[in-house]
Amino acid sequence: MQRKLISKLLVACLAGTAAVAIGSAAWAAGGRNAEGKSPPTPRLENGTVDLGGNGIWNLPYITDFAKRVVGGGEIPYLPWSKAMWQYNKGNHVKYDPEGLCLPPGGPRAMGTPYPAQFLQEKDRIVVIFEGGGHVWREIHMDGRKHPQGDALNPTYFGDSIGHWDKDTLVVDTVGYNERSWIDYGGRMHTEAMHTVEKFTRPEMNTLHYEATIDDPGAYSKPWTVAWDIPWGPNQELQEYICQENNQYMADLRDDFGQPFFRQTPKDPDHQQ
Amino acid sequence: MQGAALRVALQTTLLGEQLEIKAMKTGYSLAVAAVVGLLGGAPAIAHHSFVAEFDANAPIKYTGTVTKIEWRNPHTYFYVDVKGEDGQVHNWAMEMGSPNGLMRRGWTRNSLKVGDVISFEGWRARDGGFKGNTRAVTTADGTRLFANSSNSDDKSAK
Repeated sequence: MQRKLISKLLVACLAGTAAVAIGSAAWAAGGRNAEGKSPPTPRLENGTVDLGGNGIWNLPYITDFAKRVVGGGEIPYLPWSKAMWQYNKGNHVKYDPEGLCLPPGGPRAMGTPYPAQFLQEKDRIVVIFEGGGHVWREIHMDGRKHPQGDALNPTYFGDSIGHWDKDTLVVDTVGYNERSWIDYGGRMHTEAMHTVEKFTRPEMNTLHYEATIDDPGAYSKPWTVAWDIPWGPNQELQEYICQENNQYMADLRDDFGQPFFRQTPKDPDHQQ
Repeated sequence: MQGAALRVALQTTLLGEQLEIKAMKTGYSLAVAAVVGLLGGAPAIAHHSFVAEFDANAPIKYTGTVTKIEWRNPHTYFYVDVKGEDGQVHNWAMEMGSPNGLMRRGWTRNSLKVGDVISFEGWRARDGGFKGNTRAVTTADGTRLFANSSNSDDKSAK
């Protein structure tokens, strides 16, 4: 009905079928109708919510997870994780791993401000990120369980298994390494971190993201953050290579004013 | 004929920045920046901590001659000779976003050329060196382009 209205408007404004065709294509890809409303949630042929389409998700810059806590409560730090957060904040988060071009890992990837796309296959969903060190993550959708024991090797993005709960993609992840920060603000986590993320697309133009962080190594109880991600219709990913010319690394000094990355001392007697 | 259809497909980024430029002239930049936020303009580029390296309380604004351009990741740099108040010419190193972000804001690798006289604004490095983070540049032909700054507190430049 709305679609017909748009078509009529276009016809009324501009004579000719070519304009209608172009307008319909733009409408199907996203954008807004004459009343400023988003098109409805797109779906695959089997009825599953389609997280893709002709466009990109313009991930927002979420620098401070404390401002995104659902319900507005305090982050339930353990004493050490609070002290480390304060230390990192105190030195302007200069040791942020992402500043060294390491992957954001975990929920922070959805708040690192470069666009992303979801590639939705039957047995997996792959999320590709333009930023964060040119990374992607894979969500297994084939019903498997997490690897157990030493088979679970800690990594930046961990091991993710997902399923659809009606129209919500629920992703359970364990096996994170400790080399990433939870957010730009300098909050840390341990290998015990377990996250449950929920992705919904209530309309064409919005991806609602929610992540529960459960890390008994760093926080006294689970806490949840959430934000909305806008759709960029007809836009495409571009290339971004963080590692190319990272002058920040060359200039980084430690707490004693010495270069953070040192060259290995050379043996003056060694002949090459 | 295709005008309306193209408007439907117009990237909100471009729309937002046109609005902001108009708004700056009329002095409503904060209100319009909020609208731009609602429209969902292209995100700012973040790579390292802005505050670790630059001082948001030390704004700079200069005109000078471009001596070198590094159109590279994760930050583009341009170098520009600026005559200071002391009469000395200093070569400033100015950081911008990465090429992917700059392209979305209307830049190309040829927006700046060696020898161009340009004006630019941004924030100086904390160490007081002739280095800064760029907010916006007015190129040799008068085009004003935002530099995709990593300053997360500068809402107007988003």
